[in-house]
This record gives sequence, structure tokens and C-alpha cells, in this order.
Amino acid sequence: AAVPERPQVVSHIQQALSYTVFDCKWVPRSARLLCLGSAARGTGLVQLYELHGARLELLREIEKPKPIKCGTFGATSLQQRYLATGDFDGNLNIWNLEAPEIPVYSVKGHKEIINSIDGVGGLGIGEGAPEIVTGSRDGTVKVWDPRQNDTPVANMEPVQGESKRDCWTVAFGNAYNQEERVVCAGYDNGDIKLFDLKTMSLRWETNIKNGVCSVEFDRKDINMNKLVATSLEGKFHVFDMRTQHPTKGFASVSEKAQKSTIWQVRHLPQNRDIFMTSGGSGSLHLWKYEYPAQRSKKDSEGSEMGVAGSVSLLQNVTLSTQPISSLDWSPDKKGLCVCGAFDQTVRVLIVTKLNKI
Amino acid sequence: MPVWLREHSWRQTLTAVYLSLPLRGARATPANIFCSEQYLKVSIPPFLFEAILYAPIDDANSTAKIGNGNIFFTLYKKEPAMWDSLTLADAGKEKLQYLRENAVLKAQEKAKEETEAKKFTKQEHKKYALEATMKVEEAERKRSEDLKEKERQKVAKELEFWKNQQKDADKYKSVPKKEELHQEIEPLKERKNEKMNKSRIPNEETSKIRLKSIKGHGSCSIFSQNLKEEQLPAPRAVATIKVNFTPRVFPTALRESRVAEEEEWLHKQAEAQRRINSDLSELKDLKEEEKNPDWLKDKGNKMFAMGNYLGAVNAYNLAVRVNNKLPLLFLNRAACHLKLRNLHKAIEDSSKALELLTPPVPDNENARVKAHVRRGTAFCQLELYTEGLQDYEAALKIDPKNKNIEKDAEKIRHLIQETMQSS
Repeated sequence: AAVPERPQVVSHIQQALSYTVFDCKWVPRSARLLCLGSAARGTGLVQLYELHGARLELLREIEKPKPIKCGTFGATSLQQRYLATGDFDGNLNIWNLEAPEIPVYSVKGHKEIINSIDGVGGLGIGEGAPEIVTGSRDGTVKVWDPRQNDTPVANMEPVQGESKRDCWTVAFGNAYNQEERVVCAGYDNGDIKLFDLKTMSLRWETNIKNGVCSVEFDRKDINMNKLVATSLEGKFHVFDMRTQHPTKGFASVSEKAQKSTIWQVRHLPQNRDIFMTSGGSGSLHLWKYEYPAQRSKKDSEGSEMGVAGSVSLLQNVTLSTQPISSLDWSPDKKGLCVCGAFDQTVRVLIVTKLNKI
Repeated sequence: MPVWLREHSWRQTLTAVYLSLPLRGARATPANIFCSEQYLKVSIPPFLFEAILYAPIDDANSTAKIGNGNIFFTLYKKEPAMWDSLTLADAGKEKLQYLRENAVLKAQEKAKEETEAKKFTKQEHKKYALEATMKVEEAERKRSEDLKEKERQKVAKELEFWKNQQKDADKYKSVPKKEELHQEIEPLKERKNEKMNKSRIPNEETSKIRLKSIKGHGSCSIFSQNLKEEQLPAPRAVATIKVNFTPRVFPTALRESRVAEEEEWLHKQAEAQRRINSDLSELKDLKEEEKNPDWLKDKGNKMFAMGNYLGAVNAYNLAVRVNNKLPLLFLNRAACHLKLRNLHKAIEDSSKALELLTPPVPDNENARVKAHVRRGTAFCQLELYTEGLQDYEAALKIDPKNKNIEKDAEKIRHLIQETMQSS
């Protein structure tokens, strides 16, 4: 047989850690990565590694009083590269990694653990004010501006008297000019809600029956194109966000890939139709979305409705026996990604042949 | 008696005997010929020819050619010697018999050996084939492993190269930074001070920090960065969006719910609502609203609240006649009967209610608790304390946090102990 034509997932480096890693992120414009997690004694850890041949070299270790659940570079400039983190106590902090003793910004944003965080407006991507959104177990989703202390600039909270549902994931999107921005939030009862920050209203909501583990737009800084939402019981849905029908909402295609929870979805920064999902059985699946011949059509009443395309599996690989809870593509090198799993290992992977797709 | 064939003719050399046997018109097949080391037989019923050979022959290599109404045997001698005659002359009857049997046995053994040998060779062949396939697969696997290894190494090299590029880029960035920064800071500071008043960025500190930590792609980008800074919109006006969560009859996610049972319960409820007893002849003279069991139930509830227990019972009775599948009717009627001290009827009604409240799901918890409590009370008032206690415990199981039920259950236990002690 000829040389394999499908993309291969090559495991380049495996590093065993002495703590539970919850999130891992590449430092933009560098060959360095961060691991965020919780040490056995209940404190938070941030470790900065650098790629060094066939291993990772630990450059710096920072310990914080509370375990850290998630982090993002999305809202800082390329020069500053400040890290925004959410921890188990509901605190949102922004750190300068050169001087990590005192946070650059700190607020006790939520009453309970911040499950997910996202940033937009930084890193030279997109336009508009840099903002950070956090989603927490207390059922609220809050948008913060690092220039405004103590109060969020937007707060999506349950109506008085409504029993709250945990918010498990948040994502920014549609930030193609200075005014437009949307936040998508996924909850543990299967609700997906799309909030429009320009009109400060709920733009769309739906329920996919199983708890939503991860949502991501294929690009934050364009007119919203596709949204992938993953859930428990191995299902994920791809919504076509270009056409919103007044009653039916957005068209979607769903795929049941793995028998277990799909923890994360991440789109390849260099190609917005390729994304990777990570599963509770320690496996990674690489998918490609194909657009339909016509992206929208008219329904019986004449209003536009979207047409969902199809998803095909490019490759899958099982790396671990424990769930792979975090995944990040490097924005600088196509195919380079890092993933962290609950077996206390962080792995650097290289996906080959992405050019040929 | 077989017909002997005797007109055979033969000749010999040192190593072989050539025997020609005319068949008198019979047709021969290889099955008719039987040959062993010293015994040769051709049997084509009714013809028969047999010969005890003078000396042993190599029957494996010997051949027989059938054709032309004739069988031509080529028998190779085991020992090259000239035979005096084809057959042993002085073969007695016993010897003949013995030789025949021996021959047959020998033939059988040979056949067995042959099959064994065949089996053995077959196995050998299989093993060989298996090993060959394994080798091929091994080679295949190794090849793909090698390809993967090569990919891996290539990719690792690329990564190193890219990483070094990053490092170099960083170095270059930091070197001009210091020089340029000094040059740029002066004019920039002036611009900053001018724009400070007009600028929408309120915090002077942050902009200064930004100047200091700029690693700079180059002078032009510093300018463009500043321009961008001033073009950044102000922080959003604070606003709140209220959120409603998807209502579900059962507020649990799909995998936590016992969907089948809940569906059944909902189905039953829906059915019960729709059903109307077909015995409408008696109900013909009722007003329209009096045929609606919900309306009747409401009437009954109101009368109960006012203390008119008999009226309430009447209302519930009518409702039951219209639709006897609504558990709440029986539940409420049980309460009325309790008040009226119709204890047996209360027990009946509570039991009927409990029957209708299957399958047990979180939605009908309250109703089931009430049914158990009412039945328990009725039992106790009839002095059937053990049954009463059973019902109270069932109620506690469904709703363990209810203090009243706990207190009552305790009281009943004490009563039971007292009666046991006194009897």
C-alpha cells in the first residue's frame, strides 16, 4: 500500500504530571504551553513548559491558593500575553506571567466554580473591546471587561425563582466588527442559549436533551458561520449559523461518535472546517465538515431556513484510558496540539497531512 | 461358485514378472484388482483369478494395465531372482487361507498408513502456510510502523526548526526594542498627554504599562497599536439578560431520568383525563358542567374546606361515576370519609388511590404520601396499629423529611409496645 493519505495523529511528547490538569493552552507566538490544574493539597498550579526536542522543559511553576479550572489568552494583546483564569472558588483573575504574584485584574465573579472561560478581542484577532466571558455552576454567565473593575458588563442569570442549571461551557462568536458580539452558553440540562451582546437579548435557544459539555464557534471573528456543541452520551451537533429561521432556529447535523461523553471540541485555527473532539474514553476524533450544495432554502411559508451539511471522520486515535478533558491547537504551527487528560498526563501531538485536505 | 480364470500367460525377467490375463469378455475396473506382497486377486463376478506368488513383489510400484479384454500386470520382484513358476505350487488350503487373510490385513494396514501419511503432510502444509502468512503480515506491520516512524521524525524535525525560528524572532524583537523605545517614547508621551483628555481610556496607569512592556514588531506597529487603543470602544453599559431554562415535567437531564416510567405516568394521566365513563344514560339529566370531573372535584374540595363532608362525598361520588381513573378523586374522598369516621371506606379509597398512582415517580410523590398517611390514620383509628405503622413507614420512605409523619409514627410505635406489654 502507498504511504497513508489520511491525516495521522502522531504522539510527539508525553509528560507525566504530579497534579490533575484541567486545562492546557499554547502561549501565542511561541513554542511554550501552559498547564492549569489542581495539586493534591488543594491549591492551584500553573506550569509553563517549553518544547525541547523530544520532551517538555519546565520553565516556571506558579502556585495559587485555589485550584484553577480554566484559562484563556483570548482577551489580551500579543505583546502582553496575560492569562485570564477561572478557579474553583468563582474568582476571575488575569495574570502577567512575568510577575505572577499579584494579578493584573481580580474579581470574585461567581458564587461557585467557574466551569468555562473564553476571551475575545485580543491577540490581534477581531475588533472591538477585549472581553472575557465566564460560565459557572451557579447558573450565571457573565461578561467582563478588564478595564472595568468589580462589575460585569453583561450578566445572564436565571429569572427570580427559577431553579438554576449549571453552566458548563461558554464561547464568544460573531465578533466581526466593533459592535457585534454573541455569547453562546451550554448548560447541564442540554440547553444551548445564544445571547446577543449588541442588543443585550436572547437571540436563540434550543435543547439537545443531554448536558452540553463544550461549545465553540468555528471562528470568533467572522460573521457566525458554524457552531459545534458536544454533549454527554457521545453526541455532537454542528449548527449552521448563517441562516436563522424564525421558529425553527438554526439547521443542524448531529453525529454520535463515541460511547462516552465528548469533553471538548476545538476547531483548527488554520482551517475552520476541521475540528477535533476529545472523548471520555481517552480518544480523539478528527472531523471535517462539508457544506451542502445550497446553504439555505425557502420553506413552505417563504422564510429562509438553513441547510446543514455533513460531517466525515478523518482519523481517530486512542491515547489514554481516562477522559481527555482539555485540548488546544497551536495558532502558530498547523497541526500542533496539546491535550491534557485525567490520567495526569499532558501530551503534545502533531496531526500530519492537514495540507492535503 | 466363481468361474476360475486360468488361461493366463506370463514371462519374467530378473527383476520383473509380466502377467497377462484374458478376461473372457468381462469388463474390469481398478476396484476389481487386489494385490498385496505375495497375493494377487482379480475378482469380476462371476469370474475369479487368484495367485499366491512365488516370491514377494513390490506391490507399491507394480502396475496393472486394463484394456482389450485383457489385464496386463507388471510386477516388480522384491528380490531379483528367477522364479520357477508364477505361483507357489505346494500351497495347501490352510496356507492359502492364511496367506489370503494376511494379504488383506497387510493391505488394510497399508491403507491406514497411507491415510496417516497424507494427514501428516496436510498438517505440515497448513503449518507452513500459516507461518508464511504470519511472516507476510509481520512485514506489512513493520512497514507501516516504519512509515509512521519516519513521519514522526520528519515532524519532530520540522517542529525543532519552527521552534528555533520562534526563538530567533523573539531575540530580534527584543534587541531593537530598547533603542526604538527610547526614540519613540518621547513623541509618544507627548501624543499621549494630548489625547489623554480626549481619550476614552480613563486609566493612565494602564497605558503607561502598555508602553513599557511593548516588545514591538517595529516602529510602525507601535503607532498603529496606539491608534487601535484609542479606537477601542468603551466598556459596555452594564446590563442583565434574564434566562429561563427549558421546562420539563421532570427537571433532570436525559440520562438521569427514568424516562420510561415517567412517560407511562404522563400517559396514564392524559388517558384518565380524556376518559369518560360510557354509562351516560344516568348522567343524561346532569348539567354540562356537572359532567366534568374536574369541576366536580373542585366543588368537592370547596365543600370539604367549608366542613360539608357529606356534600363533598356526593360530589366525589358523581365525579367517580363519570371518570373512575383519577387518583385524586379517591384521595380526597378518603379524606372526607376519615372526617366522617367511615374508616373502612377511607381505607378502601386510599387503597384505590394508591393503585392508580403507579408507576411511582417523583411527580406523584405528594399524592402517594397523602394516601399512605390517610390509610395509616384510618387503620390506627380502627386500632389496627401494625397496619397503620406500615403505612406511616411507607410514607416516611417517600418523604423522609416530614416531621409530622415521623412524630406520628413514633406515637404508633409506643402504642404498639404498650399494647404488647399489657396483653
